[in-house]
Amino acid sequence: MRKKQAATTFRVLCTTTLAGCILAGCASGSGVNEGSATSGTNQGGAPTSETQAPFKLTIMTNLHTPEVPTDAIEKMLEEKTNTDLTINWVPDGSYEEKLNSSFATGSLPQAVYMKNQTTYILFRDAIRNNQFWEIGPFIKDYPNLSKLDELVVKNTAVDGKTYAIYQERPLSRQGIIFRKDWADKLGLAAPKTTDELYNMLKQFKEGDPDGNGKADTMGLTDRSDLVYGAFKTVASYFGTPNNWGLADGKLQPEFMFPQYKETMDFFKKLYDEGLINKDFPVTSKEDQQNLVITGKAGMYIGSMADVQSLHQKTVEINPNALYDVANHISGPDGNAGIWSIPGYGNLVLFPKSSVKSEEELKSILAFFDKLMEPELANLVKWGVPDKHYTIVEGGLVQKAEDTKMTDREQKPYEILQVGGESTIDMLRAYNKLPAKAKAEELIIENNSMLINDPTAALDSKTFGLKGVELQQIINDATYRYILGNLDAAGFDGEIERWKKGGGESIIAEYNESLAKSQ
Amino acid sequence: MKKHDLRRRIMKNKAIYLMILPGLLYFVLFKYFPMWGLVISFQEYRPYDGILGSDWVGFKHYQRLFTEPMFWTIFRNTIILFLMNLIFFFPVPIILAILLNEVRLQAFKRFVQTIVYIPHFMSWVIIVSISFVMVTMDGGMINEGLDAMGMQKINFLLSDEWFRPMYIVQVIWREAGWGTIVYLAAIAAIDPQLYEASRMDGANRFRQIWHITLPSIRSVIVILLILKIGDVLELGFEHVYLLLNAMNRNVAEIFDTYVYTAGLKQGQFSYSTAVGFFKSFVGLVLVMSANWLAKKFGEEGVY
Repeated sequence: MRKKQAATTFRVLCTTTLAGCILAGCASGSGVNEGSATSGTNQGGAPTSETQAPFKLTIMTNLHTPEVPTDAIEKMLEEKTNTDLTINWVPDGSYEEKLNSSFATGSLPQAVYMKNQTTYILFRDAIRNNQFWEIGPFIKDYPNLSKLDELVVKNTAVDGKTYAIYQERPLSRQGIIFRKDWADKLGLAAPKTTDELYNMLKQFKEGDPDGNGKADTMGLTDRSDLVYGAFKTVASYFGTPNNWGLADGKLQPEFMFPQYKETMDFFKKLYDEGLINKDFPVTSKEDQQNLVITGKAGMYIGSMADVQSLHQKTVEINPNALYDVANHISGPDGNAGIWSIPGYGNLVLFPKSSVKSEEELKSILAFFDKLMEPELANLVKWGVPDKHYTIVEGGLVQKAEDTKMTDREQKPYEILQVGGESTIDMLRAYNKLPAKAKAEELIIENNSMLINDPTAALDSKTFGLKGVELQQIINDATYRYILGNLDAAGFDGEIERWKKGGGESIIAEYNESLAKSQ
Repeated sequence: MKKHDLRRRIMKNKAIYLMILPGLLYFVLFKYFPMWGLVISFQEYRPYDGILGSDWVGFKHYQRLFTEPMFWTIFRNTIILFLMNLIFFFPVPIILAILLNEVRLQAFKRFVQTIVYIPHFMSWVIIVSISFVMVTMDGGMINEGLDAMGMQKINFLLSDEWFRPMYIVQVIWREAGWGTIVYLAAIAAIDPQLYEASRMDGANRFRQIWHITLPSIRSVIVILLILKIGDVLELGFEHVYLLLNAMNRNVAEIFDTYVYTAGLKQGQFSYSTAVGFFKSFVGLVLVMSANWLAKKFGEEGVY
């Protein structure tokens, strides 16, 4: 459904002429922001004074729920920070284009969330061109912001300068969620190697795990996502590098490593034997989860934290269903690994087009500094006590059972959080569901076998320019290989196409950047 | 002298000329003024510098477009889908309108008409989702049916060969009923005496259609054809984008979807403007030649 929104937004920009109109509009001045900007300057200077009229702040961020939330929490935030907040919620699915078009028309608000690392990298060029405020020199003046992890801050830097406040994320949440009741029935233990993983999937299909006498089950469900779906996680079991890896001291993209091909072969086998949903290259996350929830498939590979919601929805249909999580799967070489993100999820940037003065910037930073106070951090992360959560034994948080209510009132605000558990002394979650508790443990355990992306702090101009388009060649080739539409030689041909299309420059630029950083 | 005449004519009919104004303003504001934006296709456009501040790069983006390995694939796909639209879709509303016209039971005619209209009001997302559910490999109606009859399942969604048939069937499904409106109106305007006279001469139903109905709506058909060619490359971004995936990109990537990925998703505004401009140019050439052809054959054309 999200594509619909994408498409409507696009329609506006679709024809050249119309796109031209919007772009032309921006050349004649950024009138859109003047209102908020002037009010900002008026208030600037003394951000902490309570007696002043509220500071006006507009924020754009991505929305993961279908609906815009109610404003109860927003009101509380406004009151506690003496701010007049306007939050522009943009559906996650169309966030990139909204970001690009707002940027092009000079209508970005004062604080802009970047959605994820990939989107952020696309903005590096604009950052270099002085379009966003450098906040590095100011951070030390704020008691909470200065607690942000230096290493992660460094990962977000552009040319060594800090422009963004980051939101903390566990380094790797990836892992396996499977139906424990099925595995028990078939006498299978949690998989420890990729062979056992394959065997479990095979048994799930052939062993009639739901006991209805019909061969109507399958093993794995996957979706049209090679990164957050199953593929990349399984690839790290096989020892594939994370985006880029070193071969003979030189950086190379992951798909040039033999392990990448092994992973493709693994998936090809799953596909050929019908152990994975046949339409996975076009399956949405919702459909993918539905296959598990309705008991058609027994395994889901992705964020282990999803086990909570999967469990909740499954027991509504089948009260006997039981989930378990697993990770630390070793590949043919006996080693286990898991890909990781660079320590941050979302980021906030401050465009110069809307933040007109240093004073205004300081006021905005003061707001985010307050957002890192435990009280407010808990408010955005957990919501209102005794409504969205209750405190249980050991001072831990148990979230309200009514997810429909929390989705509407609290969950979207989690995205506003800056920093995280390791930088803020905030409430932690209690997990009634054992599988969820185990998932949280495994997420921490993942830290012992991380595969890092060596290019996280490096830079390639061509990648910023054509990276997404080029990656599509590889993604298409990967799918076509798995579905048997392309052989090994054909895949190599596609790599050549990637190289010719600009990949060679990307390799050269990353290696150059690597040499410089050493 | 002539000028004076014109002014007097305008003053005399100022109410009527005033009515043109909103339309005129619309075109100036939303169609002509925006063309200024096309200049960014000759620039290395940076949003923050604006059109006046960005560097000129001449035909660089056009060169990139024409040398892009995907270019001919995209061009071919766009043209093929367009031709399929013309050959398979265009006649359907005409046939449907004639068939509906032959239905003598008014209530039944209205009922069918309403039923075939309805899909037009559903978005592409709905149409594509419904077909997805029908043709998916894991429990889709059609594939289950094939399986039950002991035939091989067909991977409609993930194959090169099935993209085009699926596309055109969905277009017909959604738009055919809607397209009949104009033709039905044109048919309704035909003088009934012509039919009576032909019946006197012993013409049967088919003869009547062939010698009266069709020639009478010929000019409408021609005008609609030229207009259709006008949207030549507007194949429905939304529709194609929803059907597009890794397995059918070779036949499904068209200019619209390419502009979207290159332009909006990656912020290459200049390049995607160049692609869009090229597309519009091809459209212009096609409309002009269609119009020219129409006049050659003694029809009126649109201008």
